[in-house]
Amino acid sequence: MLHNESAAIHPRGTLDLIRRFFANVPLLGWLAGALAAVVLEQAIGTSLAHALGLPRIPVLFGFLIFLKQPALIPGALGYVLLSNILPICIIAKVGAPLFNFLCRVLFKMPLLVTAVVHLALLYAIFHIWTDVNAYRLIMLKLMLISILLTLSLNVINGYMGEFSCSHPGFMALGAYSASLFTVGLFVNDQLFGQAILVSDYAVVFFPLGLIFAGLVSAFGALIIAIPSFKTRGDYLAIISLAFTFMVKSLLENLEFLGGPRGLSGQPDWSSLPMVFIIVVLGVWIINNFVTSTMGKALNAVRDDEIAAEAMTVNTRKTKIIAFMFAAFWAGVAGGLFAHVLRFVNPSTFGLQKLAEVLAMVYFGGLNSVYGSIVGAVSISLLGEALRPLEILKWIIIPLLLILVMIFRPRGLISFKEFNIEKLLKPRS
Amino acid sequence: MSLLEVTNMSHKFGGLLAVNEYNLTIEPGQIVGLIGPNGAGKTTVFNLITGIYRPTSGRIIFNGQDVTGLAPNSIASLGLARTFQEMRLWRHMTVLEHVKMACYSKLTYGLAGAFLQTPKRRRQEQEIEERAFASLKMFGVDQFAYQLPIDLPYGAARRVEMARATVTEPKLLFLDEPTVGMTPEEMLAMIDIIRKMHEILKPAIFLIEHRLRVVSELCHLVQTLVFGQVIAEGIPEEIQNNPEVIKAYLGEEKVFA
Amino acid sequence: MNLTYILQNVINALQWGSFYALIALGYSMVYSILMLFNFAHGDIFMVGAYIGFALTTALVAMSAAGVIVLPNWLILILTIILAMLFTSCLGMLVERIGYRPLRGAPRASAAITGLMIGIILQTTVLSIMGAQRVLFPSLIQTTTYNVAGVSVTNIKIMIVFVSIALMIALHQFVQHSKWGMAMRAMAYDYTVVPLMGVSINAIAAMTFAIGSALAAAAGIMYGMAYPILDPSMGILFGWKAFVAAILGGRGSIMGACIAGFLIGFIEIFVATIFPSTLRDLIAYSIIFVILVFRPHGLFGEPYSARLRL
Repeated sequence: MLHNESAAIHPRGTLDLIRRFFANVPLLGWLAGALAAVVLEQAIGTSLAHALGLPRIPVLFGFLIFLKQPALIPGALGYVLLSNILPICIIAKVGAPLFNFLCRVLFKMPLLVTAVVHLALLYAIFHIWTDVNAYRLIMLKLMLISILLTLSLNVINGYMGEFSCSHPGFMALGAYSASLFTVGLFVNDQLFGQAILVSDYAVVFFPLGLIFAGLVSAFGALIIAIPSFKTRGDYLAIISLAFTFMVKSLLENLEFLGGPRGLSGQPDWSSLPMVFIIVVLGVWIINNFVTSTMGKALNAVRDDEIAAEAMTVNTRKTKIIAFMFAAFWAGVAGGLFAHVLRFVNPSTFGLQKLAEVLAMVYFGGLNSVYGSIVGAVSISLLGEALRPLEILKWIIIPLLLILVMIFRPRGLISFKEFNIEKLLKPRS
Repeated sequence: MSLLEVTNMSHKFGGLLAVNEYNLTIEPGQIVGLIGPNGAGKTTVFNLITGIYRPTSGRIIFNGQDVTGLAPNSIASLGLARTFQEMRLWRHMTVLEHVKMACYSKLTYGLAGAFLQTPKRRRQEQEIEERAFASLKMFGVDQFAYQLPIDLPYGAARRVEMARATVTEPKLLFLDEPTVGMTPEEMLAMIDIIRKMHEILKPAIFLIEHRLRVVSELCHLVQTLVFGQVIAEGIPEEIQNNPEVIKAYLGEEKVFA
Repeated sequence: MNLTYILQNVINALQWGSFYALIALGYSMVYSILMLFNFAHGDIFMVGAYIGFALTTALVAMSAAGVIVLPNWLILILTIILAMLFTSCLGMLVERIGYRPLRGAPRASAAITGLMIGIILQTTVLSIMGAQRVLFPSLIQTTTYNVAGVSVTNIKIMIVFVSIALMIALHQFVQHSKWGMAMRAMAYDYTVVPLMGVSINAIAAMTFAIGSALAAAAGIMYGMAYPILDPSMGILFGWKAFVAAILGGRGSIMGACIAGFLIGFIEIFVATIFPSTLRDLIAYSIIFVILVFRPHGLFGEPYSARLRL
């Protein structure tokens, strides 16, 4: 509190000036600006790119160009400025009074309405942005899925304060279960034979398959949850690691699931609307849980289990719920993932996936929905943007993470509550 | 029928007999004190009755129900709350969240409410938030509602712990050295708080204390525990003048503040 | 399944387990004394093997070119000593850069840092050496002895003996030297030792140095037994040795040793009974069950080892 007050009196540098300049722009304004920017890109993007000397629209905000074709950097910078940054900032700032007015109008209605409006805008932005090419589409889908995965891990590692290494295992269980469901029932496949049902109603059957995937993972989580009553901390870390090894090895040995070669042929059911809705739903449900008093019990168990028990908290029930809940969403994320790539194999869910997902959680921030979103988006973007550097990517990203650990050990945005009302409210 | 009846409770840690044939009866609304030199086993008695340890022998009957060997959270849900000598607060949770958490067993909205924002959940969360605020106000710490324990002055933190323990209006409240580390003024303030709280909420209180001033001001009855055994039991004046008690405390200062 | 077969596998298990045990020792020391996991340790083992490879290749080349002529056994000894030296310097560097800044931080953050350092080490070796696997030059003529139907190579014998010798040396150091006493004290109570005038920085550096030197020895011996090196060899060994360290129990360095051999035995014997693809599954199920029933590890003290946020 004191920090902000003093900043108000003595602005510290350009960052602060920028923040104050845009302080009166509500989230609605930013969304509107972004929408305008992507629409603009649809209309004049290619022409603009050509005018700036670029062969085509930069796929990922010019990051790939910066690293692969340095000669085109000025053009790329210009493109990003003209096509993205300027339209967004201008429309957001200039239209701020209008957007604040609209916000106030929306706020008179139930919060659900406001949320839906914002989500619709966000979806429109995603839809139009990914329309440019297939790479953007896959990237965005995978990024959304990693948000869900990261948040689900945060439930155990952040909110409940364990060091669980079992998430690749949960994801694997979900990926394979969902694949089994869709391929087994809906696809003519050499492993499973003829399709039993018609595959026209993806919108109904895919969510069912995902729920099935989540439940299988949640059930698998009992293997970790029950020992967690007696073992804590370091020993739980090992048990969860053993679990991941066991799941991977199990999948490699089940020939009817394809063994080490994996399972392919999943129908193309992870469309952008499907992924978007499920991830939004997942984030909403997880946030509901962690902001409830039942969810806060996870924090109490983390910070002092004995005091929690003395205050009537059923710590066993809490641990089981936490593990199963987190595993459920990891399973759903796994199912979505399997249907984006339309292929799964056991080696995806090993130590590399573990390192990735731990990096996202700890980089973004523990015990925080914002943190998981930031962590997942950052690490995904960095992973893609630095791809031209090839092997150096795996020196830069770890270094970045080490720096964050040294200066903000709990992650960039930790322990910050995700309050929907505060996020969406008008700012003037 | 007494609120709490402990009969012949004994407890061994390995080969060490920490508590020996301990008996206790507490009536509703009564304030009982437990004194004794360091290492006598007072906190062990607390931990045995509240379920943290299961006694090797003996019986504990709370409010007509046999609670021997039940889990701590079950016993707490039946109306037995406690504070801790080392003040076990949750470092990453706000003061308000501390007090709301104590109402955990009163929640009935289940997983459906927790995962989705059902009206029942909204209503119950609202109710316990109001209740929590009221409790904080009673102890004069409501201004700290959104702060973390680490930011609180020591006396305020103790009162938060007390608010947390009393928000569900327990029938029996265990206080483990509520005035430890306090200055004489703070101690007198705490005595006052406990007395007022007792008038409003009327719990029975079982109190561990080193400072005889607290004990003589508040307690109806006092037990003296030495090496796990009760060597004297009676009203405060009797205990203060009991030669056995004085012998046990030989060399220890009596704080009259 | 006769006695010879069993004995043969016992020998194999002893040799295989030696690697786990030596690496687990390093993990366990850091874990017991400094209360942290060094997830980069497996990769330090890998770097040790590569340093050994580089030294051996260089010395052999120099010897062949006539710069200094050294017999193979001398090259081997020099390699082991120098590699242990260089790797322990690397270990101290890792401690200085990655762990010392995080001394007051939550242990999970230090764990992540270690993980990242491991990735950096792996990537560095990969970029220097390229993706191809390298062949560790052979310095000792492999002789196979046949004792009562059990065949043992001299290399296997050497590995087991050297490992046990190193473990005994470590045990002596920890039990009977002044610094060893300081380390044991720190394992019991982290905060008091500096108050007694012993520098935490010095002990931390020493712990990492010793652990890394042991890992390097393991790496070189691994290179001699299984001459093909590749940069990802550290990860799997590292994680399994980590499991061994925890399985052995906190505070017990000998426990880590024994657990390392135990994992080696489990893996080898499981492979004799079940198809080799099931090896990991069954081995880890066994370890899982052990940990569920002995939550404090085999020899550990019941210490509430919570990863504090």
